[in-house]
Amino acid sequence: MAPFAPAAFVLVGLFFVPLTVMLAYSFWTTDASLHVVPVWTLQNYEHFFQNATYVRTLLKTLLMGVAVTATCLVMAFAVAYFLARYISRRWARLALLIIIVPFWSSYLLRVYSWQAILGEKGVINDVLMGLGVLSEPSRLFIYNDIGTYIVLTYVYLPFAILVLYSALDRFDFTQLTAAQDLGARPDQAFRHVLVPQIRAGIITAAILVLIPILGEYLTPSIVGGASGLLIANLISNFFTNALFSEGAAIGFMIVALVTLLLIAFRRYLRVEDVYARG
Amino acid sequence: MSVMDNQLSRRRFLQATAAVGAAVGLGGITAACSAVGTQGGTFNWMTWSDHYIDTQLKAIEDSDKIIANITPLEGNAEGFAKLKEVKGQLDMMSADALWVRDAYNKEGLIEPFDIEALTVAKDLYPFARKFEIWTTPEGYLGYPIGWSPIMIYYDPAKVSGSPDSWEVLLDPQYKGRIVVEHQPEEIVAYMARAAGFDTPYSLSDDQLATVRDLLLKLKPNILKFAGQATDTVNSLVSGEAWLATGNIGNEDRVKDANGPEIKGYVPKEGTVAWQDSEMIVKGGANEKLIKPFWEKAEVAENIAANFNAYGRPLFNEKAYKLLVDAGQKDKADRYHYNDAEEILSKAVLKGPGTSIDKSIQLFNEVFGA
Repeated sequence: MAPFAPAAFVLVGLFFVPLTVMLAYSFWTTDASLHVVPVWTLQNYEHFFQNATYVRTLLKTLLMGVAVTATCLVMAFAVAYFLARYISRRWARLALLIIIVPFWSSYLLRVYSWQAILGEKGVINDVLMGLGVLSEPSRLFIYNDIGTYIVLTYVYLPFAILVLYSALDRFDFTQLTAAQDLGARPDQAFRHVLVPQIRAGIITAAILVLIPILGEYLTPSIVGGASGLLIANLISNFFTNALFSEGAAIGFMIVALVTLLLIAFRRYLRVEDVYARG
Repeated sequence: MSVMDNQLSRRRFLQATAAVGAAVGLGGITAACSAVGTQGGTFNWMTWSDHYIDTQLKAIEDSDKIIANITPLEGNAEGFAKLKEVKGQLDMMSADALWVRDAYNKEGLIEPFDIEALTVAKDLYPFARKFEIWTTPEGYLGYPIGWSPIMIYYDPAKVSGSPDSWEVLLDPQYKGRIVVEHQPEEIVAYMARAAGFDTPYSLSDDQLATVRDLLLKLKPNILKFAGQATDTVNSLVSGEAWLATGNIGNEDRVKDANGPEIKGYVPKEGTVAWQDSEMIVKGGANEKLIKPFWEKAEVAENIAANFNAYGRPLFNEKAYKLLVDAGQKDKADRYHYNDAEEILSKAVLKGPGTSIDKSIQLFNEVFGA
């Protein structure tokens, strides 16, 4: 037990205890004086399910997460495959360095900078108007769900690239050639030889992208406008007004969703996959 | 490496980690508490960023050895909730109007004081030393700082006519052209004022139903919720927003940023206003530093500089005279520096209402998916 004591201390003290407090809060109420009153009730959860807005917003958040994750996986796979297969390791590392350079700047700054790209007087509108595609600036790219989708994809794409590159870098590409020599079509070789061997990487990348998006607050609040808010924005409205019980209850709905997703992912992610390849 | 070596290494690692952790923790506690000597010390202050100017704090630190350790304050409710948890770990706190009396003082979190005993308070307008909402038998509850009504600003080149009401925010022709600050309880309060309700923070269920209809009309018109005042200004400057809500002074801020000439007005149905103050936290470990700090920080020269830096009226009368002497009477008058008593008496002051929970639920219902 002793070797696990530090980890247990961190996990219990910094994770389970605060989580338990918030769980208790979610079953309590907040009175008019903004006191959390320890009277056990299900009303916060009842309100969540009785009010279609919260359920719809949670589902919208999940949909946004799935869409961004799928986009990130496709784009990241293309980049990682190119780097792992066609570029020398030295140049690939340089490319990866360039990919992670934006992480050296503030998340807030990066998201704000998209206002200058997607806005009415932004770069995209300038280019499209310069090319004659648009006669006047479009308001399609920002302050809506499209803006949130674009910026979230930008923010999380590097995570997916790094994970998938790591998986593909260990793959022996001659296996694809061998499979085709044995009669497999390229798509069959891809599906039956490559994908199973990088499955752990794909699932890890999906988890790294999807789970944080379920709690995304900043990006939708900066580029989502009034119609692009996600569930974390609604939770934030409770917490910034000291309505901790109500916020905690919706927060735990996200926890429940994440737990379900992790259980689902786990069915496809064998732990030995991660360790087997060192 | 043997198992024994491995265990030894782990033990050493843990010992080193514990030592570093203890040192860091002790350092943090020492910094936070900091011994208060007769010559000064550090006090902990939760406040908004427009309540101070860094160079002024540095000057006080150099001259009086009083150091302000500042924690950013997001909003009244959040600050109130935090102070309830940390109590004496903070020494000074900022809050608005009725929050001071109906939340902080009601909960016994702050220490009333004799404002007349402060030399620097004589620079304040006399009425600012006698606000009824901050007067108790035990003393005054807050040192008055600044104020502003919430106004509606518009670009006359884009907005037709001369609007004078909240109604303009609901006009479908301004779809996606309005920016409001991201303060859900305030947005609900604005619509309550639009509906003619005088208690926008304590709404009945029937009133909330009326407000809901107005919020539904407002929603498609909102371009975005501004995280801070500069976001509002930037949107007006770029032309993507034609209308916005905000504090006094946005005309100049937009113009200074090379934006269009915009106009502002107080809606005829009435508005809400903020009136902020500094409060002494009861049981604050460094409470004795607060009044000496005020005597330095709140002098008219600093308040005049604050006016120029952040552009909204304050309660310091002597600072107004300094601004007039410096040739800034026109600007100060345009900002209604001298009109606090009249304007604030017509507005509903910010405060903790009885319907905050339902207001937030309503906002979420309207602006969620």
